[in-house]
Amino acid sequence: MSSLNAILATALSGLTAQEGALSATTNNVANVNTPGYSREVPILETSDPVVVAPLTFGTGVTLQSIESVRDPILEAQIQQQTQTENQFGALTSALQQTQVNFTTSSDDIGTSITNFFNSINQLSTNPSDLSTRQGVLTAAVDLATSFNNTANNLSTQRQNLDLNVVQTVAQINQYSQQIAGLNAQISRLQNVGENAGTFIDQRQQAIDQLSSLVDVSVIPADNSLTLTTANGAPLVTGQQSFPLTTQATPSGLHDIYSGGNDITSQITSGQLGGTLQARDQQIPAIQTQLDTLAGNLATAVNGVQAAGFDLKGNPGTNLFTPPPANNVGAAADMAVAITDPSLIAASSDGTQGSNGNAEAMYALSSSPIIDGQSPTDYYSGVVFNVGNDVSNASAEQTASSQVLQQLQDQRASVSGVSLDEEAANMVQYQNAYQASAQVITTINDMMYAVINMTTLTG
Amino acid sequence: MRINPNPYPDLLNDIALTQQQINSDEQQIASGQSVNVPSDNPAAAAILVQNADATSRADQFERSIGSIQGEMQSADSTLNSVISSLQQAITLGTEGANGTVNAADRSAITVQLQGIQSQLVSLANLTYQGSYVFGGTATQTAPYVLDPTSTSGVTYQGNSNVNRVTLGNGFTLQTNLPGSQLFSAAGNSMFQSIQDLINDMESGNNIGTAVTEVGSALNYVDSQRVFYGNALNQLTAQQTYLSSETTSLAEQQNTVGGADLTVVISNLTNSQVSLEATLQTIGKTAQINLFDYIR
Repeated sequence: MSSLNAILATALSGLTAQEGALSATTNNVANVNTPGYSREVPILETSDPVVVAPLTFGTGVTLQSIESVRDPILEAQIQQQTQTENQFGALTSALQQTQVNFTTSSDDIGTSITNFFNSINQLSTNPSDLSTRQGVLTAAVDLATSFNNTANNLSTQRQNLDLNVVQTVAQINQYSQQIAGLNAQISRLQNVGENAGTFIDQRQQAIDQLSSLVDVSVIPADNSLTLTTANGAPLVTGQQSFPLTTQATPSGLHDIYSGGNDITSQITSGQLGGTLQARDQQIPAIQTQLDTLAGNLATAVNGVQAAGFDLKGNPGTNLFTPPPANNVGAAADMAVAITDPSLIAASSDGTQGSNGNAEAMYALSSSPIIDGQSPTDYYSGVVFNVGNDVSNASAEQTASSQVLQQLQDQRASVSGVSLDEEAANMVQYQNAYQASAQVITTINDMMYAVINMTTLTG
Repeated sequence: MRINPNPYPDLLNDIALTQQQINSDEQQIASGQSVNVPSDNPAAAAILVQNADATSRADQFERSIGSIQGEMQSADSTLNSVISSLQQAITLGTEGANGTVNAADRSAITVQLQGIQSQLVSLANLTYQGSYVFGGTATQTAPYVLDPTSTSGVTYQGNSNVNRVTLGNGFTLQTNLPGSQLFSAAGNSMFQSIQDLINDMESGNNIGTAVTEVGSALNYVDSQRVFYGNALNQLTAQQTYLSSETTSLAEQQNTVGGADLTVVISNLTNSQVSLEATLQTIGKTAQINLFDYIR
């Protein structure tokens, strides 16, 4: 049989439980705008009943725990998508800067190539005229300058991206350190059976941010977690973080090392992956195309020069400085080798009035001298490639950003704090609290009656 | 089912996307171009590079035609003068062939013929913008000098080479005839015929034959002159072609790279409406939650 005191204890368990539940609600409301916060729910359980045969009496409610609501699979998907989104974000913004060099203007490479050949066509109509010859020299200098400027812009951009790489690595190390610290706090709390929800939220937030920088693999362990890059270079193991380092290569760009291993080429995702992709693959590919164009064009023009005669009847000399071996750096190094307009070898027979060699030079404009294409066709291919790179990267970014948004919606629908819900919960807990309090008041009255009864009888 | 209680990041994202669209539309309206950077449409951007090249080349061909036309017209009208001079020589020769003229008259005619000879040399030494026109590709030396030691009375200092200029895709035009072909070709030499006439006039023998020789030389020069007439016609035809090519290139440019303003402006209006709607949604929903109703 149950006693009044036992009932009082039961009522009290209700008060305590509702109070605890209300504190979860309060914390949720307080953190409604905290990024990465997962809502908490109180886990209430019926207390063990007391059996007084043949009856069984309930003993109230226990607040088992306050748990954060989160979906680990969603979190993992979000990390992955964050990596992809940031990879293409970094790539897109880098390539958008690159493509500015390839928009049609008065001095882009395409226009300069056309102007150069136009000046030769003009020379062809009056091969001995010095001012027309000067026009060819000027156009050649403009052409070389166009190549130089574009090549230099691309190099500068790679250097800026390199700076970005070094900074990103420093940020990664910061997050690794932070996560290792949080791991320590979480395992300390969990080892004594406490809810480490807040720290787990913070850690998740840090992992998300780390995912935006680099491709991260999360390997959960008891009360802790290990982070590596996707290819296995350790970042965090339990309470220990492993910083990545950077080291300048002879080219001036930095490689990334993990414990002595060069992992630069293995980083493919996250902002760092995208930046590296732009720095080490996409922009160099464009540079190579420009070098091919500049080098082959210079070589072809020099070849035609050598076959003709200048205004003095001497065999033609190089119009452009011969490009470096394999055309490496040809665009950046392109230069006009002569300053005397009479040295342009327009003549094919040694007389001043012959335009045969100027015609041969003009014919280069539609000859397959650059990897089987004419200079302008090849350049238009470069423009297509650049535009396509940007357009693809940007499409990938848009797509992954939409997926990420959906995933984040899903996470918010699981873990996000709804003020309506919290308001309803608050009312619910308040009502229950008031009811329990009313029960206690009633028991108090009953207790009083019992005490008075004893007094009267005694 | 539980829904995302915080729609604001999504809404802000939508706003950002809409504003991006608005920016792009505004840029298209401002520039009149749908391809402002290569990534707007990579294939179109590549076509536009080739289009710009072709357009600029066509403009250059027109300029080159302009340069050549002047020289050719000058050559053509000079040949006209050459023919007049030869006709004059024939008239004088016919006059000298008449049995009634005496030695003194012939001597006077000879002097006149020698005048015509130097006139022809001067005509054959035509220069255009500092270059000799009838010297083949040796344009910096006078093609003909009077030379009493030569049987034709002159020496040709030019060569027999010709220039060809590209004036269109796959269209090249020969731009000169060398004097060796025009005025002193073996068997058809104008200078030889004049010198023969002078010699015969001086001696008084075979003047009639010499006049016939000058006549055939005249016919020959006249037949060669057709070259310039044809070339000038071709230049005019090529000009017409180039201007129609330029027009069709401009049409291609507009089709490939021009902004469709009707569509763009309509898109812009849609984007603005959508932006306003989103902003209003945020403004209204932001104020409501259950806490407002509990009390």
